[in-house]
Amino acid sequence: MTDLAPLPLTRRAVLAGAAALPLAARRAAAAEQQMVVATWGGDYANLLHDNVDVPLMAPQQIAVVQDVGDEDPRVAKLYAQRRLPRGADDVVCLQEVRAHEVGAAGLLETIDAAKVPNLVHVLPNLGAPTYAPHIWSPQILVYNPDKVKQPPTRFADLLDPQYKGRVGVGDGNYFYVMMAAALAATGDLNKVDAEATKALALRLNANGLRLYPSTDSIGAGIKSGEIDVGVMWLARTIMWQNAGIPVQASFAAEGSVLYISGMVVPKNAPNKPAAFAYINAMLEPSAQTRFAERMGYLPTVNNCPLTGKVAEQLALPKPAPVLAVPDYGITGTLQPQIAEWWKKNMQRA
Amino acid sequence: MAAAALLSPALFVVLLMLGAPLALLLRFSLDRYDPTELMIETLTGANYLRFFADPFYVGVLRTTLGVAVAATALCLLFGLPIAYRLARMTSRWKTACMLAIVLPLFVGSTVRMVGWLILFAHGGMIDGALRRLTGGGLELMYTPFAVISGIVSINLPFVILTLQSTIETIDPRLEEAAESLGAPPGRGFWRVVWPLTLPGTATAGILCFILAMNAYATPYLLGGPRFQMMAPLLYWEFSTNNNWPFAAALGLILMATTLILTACSSLLIPRRYRVA
Repeated sequence: MTDLAPLPLTRRAVLAGAAALPLAARRAAAAEQQMVVATWGGDYANLLHDNVDVPLMAPQQIAVVQDVGDEDPRVAKLYAQRRLPRGADDVVCLQEVRAHEVGAAGLLETIDAAKVPNLVHVLPNLGAPTYAPHIWSPQILVYNPDKVKQPPTRFADLLDPQYKGRVGVGDGNYFYVMMAAALAATGDLNKVDAEATKALALRLNANGLRLYPSTDSIGAGIKSGEIDVGVMWLARTIMWQNAGIPVQASFAAEGSVLYISGMVVPKNAPNKPAAFAYINAMLEPSAQTRFAERMGYLPTVNNCPLTGKVAEQLALPKPAPVLAVPDYGITGTLQPQIAEWWKKNMQRA
Repeated sequence: MAAAALLSPALFVVLLMLGAPLALLLRFSLDRYDPTELMIETLTGANYLRFFADPFYVGVLRTTLGVAVAATALCLLFGLPIAYRLARMTSRWKTACMLAIVLPLFVGSTVRMVGWLILFAHGGMIDGALRRLTGGGLELMYTPFAVISGIVSINLPFVILTLQSTIETIDPRLEEAAESLGAPPGRGFWRVVWPLTLPGTATAGILCFILAMNAYATPYLLGGPRFQMMAPLLYWEFSTNNNWPFAAALGLILMATTLILTACSSLLIPRRYRVA
């Protein structure tokens, strides 16, 4: 065994090394760009970090900083920073209905295949010129198979007196519930402000509808036996099934409204090349597959075939259900007035 | 003059940190909301008119007031006997009892609300126990009872500590004098101790009332979406609707209502017992 020789460190060498540190840091900073992604927190943010930020962006020398928060403040920030030459975020995660709203206000950069090559793989009807869809899921009727022997097959089935006080929806999903009601009442999911739609929603409310403050509290309601049926995304149903909650999905005969979530690039994004690179990365099959496996959302690209258990869970039934995409030009303008109506007539009933 | 000089740094900080944001809030409340511009600078009272002309918003304020008054009354009702007992306690257990009162304050109100969720939820401790015992459950979640219980649990330690410090300043010999003159303990308390605690009771009540009027986490978590109070409504207008002018008006209306009622509460105390 040899003795460890002391390092030949002199006071002068230490001082010289310390003086060189800022130079080394500057070289590293020059090599690595930084970008900010404004996103939801929780599983979504973690999956982005583990499957996009680290494996796909870091090798491109782009460090991703997540700006975690709710969607509404993100939208407010886009409006508030519209006149600044440099905004705070490079990529903003939004539902398509909100993305259309800010897109119509002229706040978003156009996204095309020249900037984002993977855009050629995106499924039709999911995207928009200023919007790259990331994940999607149909809205379905969810039920507890231990309690419900005859599953609901239409939205109107929720009015059945046997479900009095046994139906639950998420308060935050009010607009999607109203679109489902519009589809059932008028055949057009965009007619959320029609009298027939509102009347159907009020009848549902009168049947003891339970409003839950969060999406996950609906799962807890089913698990505890508080409710037997509800309106939810297929993705969330799969997460609940994986967590051992007794739930099954039923596609409404009149159609299922699509929940689409994706990303936009503000016109004043500080690092647009990195933003487009990020959107290209999130459309990579490897990242899309992980979101399907972990969160139950369907891939938005056609080059990401699912296999195994996740493919079985996410397979749409045969015959294929009616999948309804909103006309965001119409629904985007109706959101504030429906929010007000919901608050005064559904919440305060 | 020297005293004024000593006060000036604190006064300056208060003016800067409280006065300036309030002035800004007032300015925002006079702006007009636009979905794409968020706020358009103008001078309009439309946001205040909207609040007072719409029965929905007045109803939310009424609910908030009702909950705050009920929570304050319950806190004083529960707090006074405990505070009196604590103040008159001479045993070595007094420190332990004080610690037991203070200990809940070490836990954040949101965390405590999660505890109430477990207690009140469908299939939770109360509902589950009743189902096993009687076959019928008890739905407490998302009810006014749940909200008021939650607020009382948060505010009670403040009320007890305020009352206890007041009662400790009342000489016990006054009660003994009342007793020696033939007053039974209840009458002695009512005629001697209670009037002397009134200033402290008012302070405790005001503290509790202000906290209850501004409660956010409790009505949100225990009341659910159907139970609307001013603070969650204000946040909803600010964050979900992005209607900052109306949210600013709601904030100022809530603050003004609380201040006016707090000022009026001193009228409930007979003049001779008021602190000079």
